[in-house]
Amino acid sequence: MADILSETVLPEDLKKFEKIYHQQLYKNDVTPKAQFEYAWCLVRSKYPADIQKGIVLLEELYKTHEEGQRDYLYYLAIGNARLKAYTTALKYVRSFLILEPGNQQVLSLEQNIKKKLEKEGIVGILTAGGVVLAVGAIVGVGMAIAKAK
Amino acid sequence: MDEDILTTLKILIIGESGVGKSSLLLRFTDDNFDPEQTLTIGVDFKTKKLSVDGNNVKLAIWDTAGQERFRTLTPSYYRDAQGAILVFDVSSYSTFAKLETWLNELDTYSTKNNIVKMIVGNKIDVDNREVTREQAMAFARRHQTLYIEASAKTKHGVQSAFEELVHKIIQTPGLWESYNSDNIHVNGNKNHADQSGCASYCSLT
Repeated sequence: MADILSETVLPEDLKKFEKIYHQQLYKNDVTPKAQFEYAWCLVRSKYPADIQKGIVLLEELYKTHEEGQRDYLYYLAIGNARLKAYTTALKYVRSFLILEPGNQQVLSLEQNIKKKLEKEGIVGILTAGGVVLAVGAIVGVGMAIAKAK
Repeated sequence: MDEDILTTLKILIIGESGVGKSSLLLRFTDDNFDPEQTLTIGVDFKTKKLSVDGNNVKLAIWDTAGQERFRTLTPSYYRDAQGAILVFDVSSYSTFAKLETWLNELDTYSTKNNIVKMIVGNKIDVDNREVTREQAMAFARRHQTLYIEASAKTKHGVQSAFEELVHKIIQTPGLWESYNSDNIHVNGNKNHADQSGCASYCSLT
């Protein structure tokens, strides 16, 4: 059964929000709303490359848009968990719980991730390492592009 | 483990921000109440097994955020839901007035046209009630939905809300599909198998 870590976005939804984001990007005027909605779709994609793209967009939002930080932390945890980067996911969960220690939604996400980590064990940790490298590479590329501008 | 489960039902909880959607769910799944319940981010998910009329069913419950900024994406979670709980706060008339909008949302985005709808008037433990039981019942009747009054805080009505909703879903032909596909289809599901969405649902278990 599909749950929060396995349900997937409908391709037409992803396309719809991708289009809005790109239209704004073209005008060089991306709103946090459009970026978040696109990222929310991306981290729910079945393709890891999409999820990684979503994570990069969320990281950027987290740094630039204070108002929605709890939302971004939550979906950063979800995105990483879906990539099986469980240790990174738990890191985001912990940052969230420092701000809101009693948050039921995030506490149950934490449990969920821990269960997966236990089940998939060492494999998860190894993949997580790979993903951190991959995300690092993407951020690097992103920064290079930003500099080029 | 799951052998005695008749089916899994997808249930949605929708309504304005702060009416107690997550609190109702927490009371139902964990028999707990958090006076400092925080705002839901996007969508939350919980499961619970429930026995109704001698049938064991598993509920997959999607609890949506009521805040405006999540509204564009939450409807994408409506697909294939068999039941919807529309919550309002009996001490806030504006949350009741918004039910019309939520019903429209459901009609627009739910993929099953015979989805069972239930309106829940929450927070009946408070003193300053702004919506009477009669008003709410008349509204529910007009829109052909079930109606229950509840308090997530005191527990009142919570269990029966979910039981009544499930009871009605099970009674609705074509809305759900039994797990045992080689068995006789219950409730005339046979004719509606193509609409029931079981193929996509069951493959995910």
